[in-house]
Amino acid sequence: MADVDIRAVRDEWVGRVFQEIDLVVDQHRMLEWAITAGETDPRFIDPEHPDFQASTAYPTHINAARMLPDDFPNLGERGIDGGKAVEWHRPMRAGDHLHATVQIGDVYEKTGRSGTMVFIVNRMSFYDSEKRLVAEVDWRMIRST
Amino acid sequence: MILDLHTHSVRSDDGRAKVANYCQWIRKKELPLDGFVLTEHRQWDAESDYRALEDEYGLLILKASEVETDYGHVLVFGVNDDLTHAFDFARIDNPLTAVIEAADRCGAFAAPCHPGRRNVGMFSHYERKGPVAGVEVVEVFNGGSIPGEDDLSVQEAARFGYKGIGGSDSHIVSRIGLCATEFQDDITSIDGLVTGLRGGRFEARTWRT
Repeated sequence: MADVDIRAVRDEWVGRVFQEIDLVVDQHRMLEWAITAGETDPRFIDPEHPDFQASTAYPTHINAARMLPDDFPNLGERGIDGGKAVEWHRPMRAGDHLHATVQIGDVYEKTGRSGTMVFIVNRMSFYDSEKRLVAEVDWRMIRST
Repeated sequence: MILDLHTHSVRSDDGRAKVANYCQWIRKKELPLDGFVLTEHRQWDAESDYRALEDEYGLLILKASEVETDYGHVLVFGVNDDLTHAFDFARIDNPLTAVIEAADRCGAFAAPCHPGRRNVGMFSHYERKGPVAGVEVVEVFNGGSIPGEDDLSVQEAARFGYKGIGGSDSHIVSRIGLCATEFQDDITSIDGLVTGLRGGRFEARTWRT
């Protein structure tokens, strides 16, 4: 990694939406995801259930075409997946028309036993047709220096 | 009085524990803790108010910070507005001497944590850069240590004449209370904790097997 000022990168990039997509929540994919993940709650695996909805981790499989903006600075060549976190605001249901935005949620450094790491948070936000926030997925990407 | 001096909640980027769940776990497992200190990474959490949880569970819940320095990670107790303006909590390269001096000047107390750990422990830097003036207390028992790290912390703390504290460094509920600090005097506030740490009437405790 070049000598990059992480604070400057954060100030410049955090909050900038760099991709937007529209999608329709597919019942088959919802079920497939829930069953594969081992869900047993009928709300997630029974389409006849009155509260049938996407399972907890379902939005994590929806990816936009780009992980980072095209002109995002190089913060390290060696990278690993730092995990995903979902924050739910309202249920996601089969047939819902959603609009998703992708932005840089955060950029920060931390140190550990193995050295300095840079964390880049890719934040995907899902909105329903009434522009209400449905869910947010934070995907942490780790760059090792 | 036994306090876990090093815990993280969901306010930390890698914390997975809600504070209410820590309280529930302590009571459900009948852990010998009278309270715990939230030491969120690279920040000062001025917003969170845990007084209702303190009342509900009969626990002391205090707030502090874990900052990063050129000599590794450091717990800072007694954070206030003056201290948050003295250095950048988000940086990973704060000079340890500056953190200690700022803490002293602002009425806080700085204690390097997991000092026996590679790269992020103070003693690994002592080997190359020499000791730092102003260190009085270090965390000798840390619940996240791998074998050998706490042994080194205890050994080097004794060599340099530092008092030892303990903390679990928990990021999930089931880790809280693995290590803690037993104070001879009652502590009821963060100012009392700072006074207690300065007074030296405490011992590090560990329940790790």
